[in-house]
Amino acid sequence: MIRFENVTKTYDPNIVGLKDVNVHIERGEFAFLVGHSGSGKSTFIRLLLKEFEPTKGSIAVAGRNLGRMRRAAVPHHRRSIGCVFQDFKLLPNRSVAENVAYALRVTGQPVRSIRRKVPEILQLVGLGEKMNNLPDELSAGEQQRVSVARAFVNHPSLLVADEPTGNLDPDTSVGIMQLLYRINRTGTTVLMATHDREMVDKMRKRVIALEEGSVVRDEDKGLYR
Amino acid sequence: MKLRFFLSEALDSLVRNWVMSVAAIVTVLVSMFVLGIGAVIFVNLEQASSSVRSKLEIEVFMKNTASPDQISQLGDQIRAMPEVRVVNYVSKEEAMNRLRESMKGHEDVLAALSGNPLPPSYEIYLKDPSLIDSVASRFYDNPNVDNDSIAHLGANMSPDATTLKFSTGDPSKLAAIAANMYLIVDNEVMKASGDPSGNNVSVIRAQAGTTAAAHNANAEVYNTDGVKTGGNTSDRVITVTHYIEMGGAGFVALLAVASILLISNTIRLSIFARRREVEIMRLVGATSWFIRWPFIMEGIFTGLVGATGAMVLFLLVQKYFIDKIISQMPFMGMGVDTVSTFWLILSIIGGGCLLGSLGSSLALRRFLKI
Repeated sequence: MIRFENVTKTYDPNIVGLKDVNVHIERGEFAFLVGHSGSGKSTFIRLLLKEFEPTKGSIAVAGRNLGRMRRAAVPHHRRSIGCVFQDFKLLPNRSVAENVAYALRVTGQPVRSIRRKVPEILQLVGLGEKMNNLPDELSAGEQQRVSVARAFVNHPSLLVADEPTGNLDPDTSVGIMQLLYRINRTGTTVLMATHDREMVDKMRKRVIALEEGSVVRDEDKGLYR
Repeated sequence: MKLRFFLSEALDSLVRNWVMSVAAIVTVLVSMFVLGIGAVIFVNLEQASSSVRSKLEIEVFMKNTASPDQISQLGDQIRAMPEVRVVNYVSKEEAMNRLRESMKGHEDVLAALSGNPLPPSYEIYLKDPSLIDSVASRFYDNPNVDNDSIAHLGANMSPDATTLKFSTGDPSKLAAIAANMYLIVDNEVMKASGDPSGNNVSVIRAQAGTTAAAHNANAEVYNTDGVKTGGNTSDRVITVTHYIEMGGAGFVALLAVASILLISNTIRLSIFARRREVEIMRLVGATSWFIRWPFIMEGIFTGLVGATGAMVLFLLVQKYFIDKIISQMPFMGMGVDTVSTFWLILSIIGGGCLLGSLGSSLALRRFLKI
């Protein structure tokens, strides 16, 4: 699903983002990306989304080589990846349903399928009752659920979460993790960057640890350590 | 579906940023309004200058020895010239009538003339007045044309002009012509001092007056109602018109640039205000053009609303102001031209769209990183 081969990313002038990273993540896997701030987790995710190019090495996502991808194809590439962020990235002046619908509308989906999919996915994340509320009227955990719903409404084959529980208290975090776990169970590959030691230790999934841009540990059913 | 999305996004953004949008709309309105007023001034200047130009003419005097055949032959030649717009033939009798008309109260001067010494002539009006010299020069070699007498004539004789100028094809005769100049100033005939120089005879009058006409008493009379001051009249008129046109076009261009920059600034603020939307659109995989369109539409919409406001204001001003000026000044020689409504509406709508889209694409290019 994700294939990083000898990927190095250097920012100007000499700041290292990633250093010679080799990572293969299979379809349907659940993987944690752990490490301190500045260890390269964000660089990893942004490279996946083709927000910029690696300095060296090649990246393939779902069998497509990002280095050889035309610019015009990048939006379509991003449609196949669902994204969840620490700060939710919701539009404050739109209702929950509109926020989720927004992702479908800007990718040009027909109105009828939007009307069908949005309530469906909001039921799935447990927000069927709050479809018409504004994000501000929701708790942080609920807002993150909206964000997950938006990421998953297209049923992408890969879901990337960048510290999705970073702003949440432990109990709420568990709810989000359960949601991600359920999404993973439907066959979606989930890659989650996190600081959350407790969560990683509890889940016992694959752990890829980064330190100063290099992979220092990659083990199945690993611990945060 | 897509169009509706773009439109609603653009309108949403306009309403949310209404202060800035109103500012941009007002600026476009003012620019386009000044543009419209400029267009009226432009049209009228153009008309006025072309009416001056159209009065510039060449007069070709025949020799008294020329036969009727030779005269009509030259007439055919002139008519065949592509530069010529109108040719009038002025017969001996017609010329005498004109002279009598212009010398009313001084019949004694005419009585001194024996018979009718006035030659027949052709008055030539050109399509392009700047060709006046090159066309006039073609007659210098014609044996039937009195070379002394090929004169450039114009209208708009300014009252304060003190110098009248004749040109001639035969410099050797300049002195003779100069010696025989008469000047009629405010209906008084006086001997003029002619001053030959180059190919021209300048007649100098001592004082500026309201009307002036110079005549050559040497039988070949030049009716010079309109030859202006020293220097080449036709050239000068054309040059001045040209400068005015250039200046007007420059001013209009400046205003257009100002409008584009202001719209671009509004769109820049709009891009900033909607940076979250843009970020999310990118993340969920909206295409670049999908992200750009709402902003372009917002720019076009701003341009259109401003332009429409300018149009309404302009039509009102035209109705209640310009038309009144015209009706109160029937004596104004040129009359004020109003711009045709259809073309006005079309060009203002087109102009608004163009300014808006240029403004927004400028902002997108600089501030929207996709």
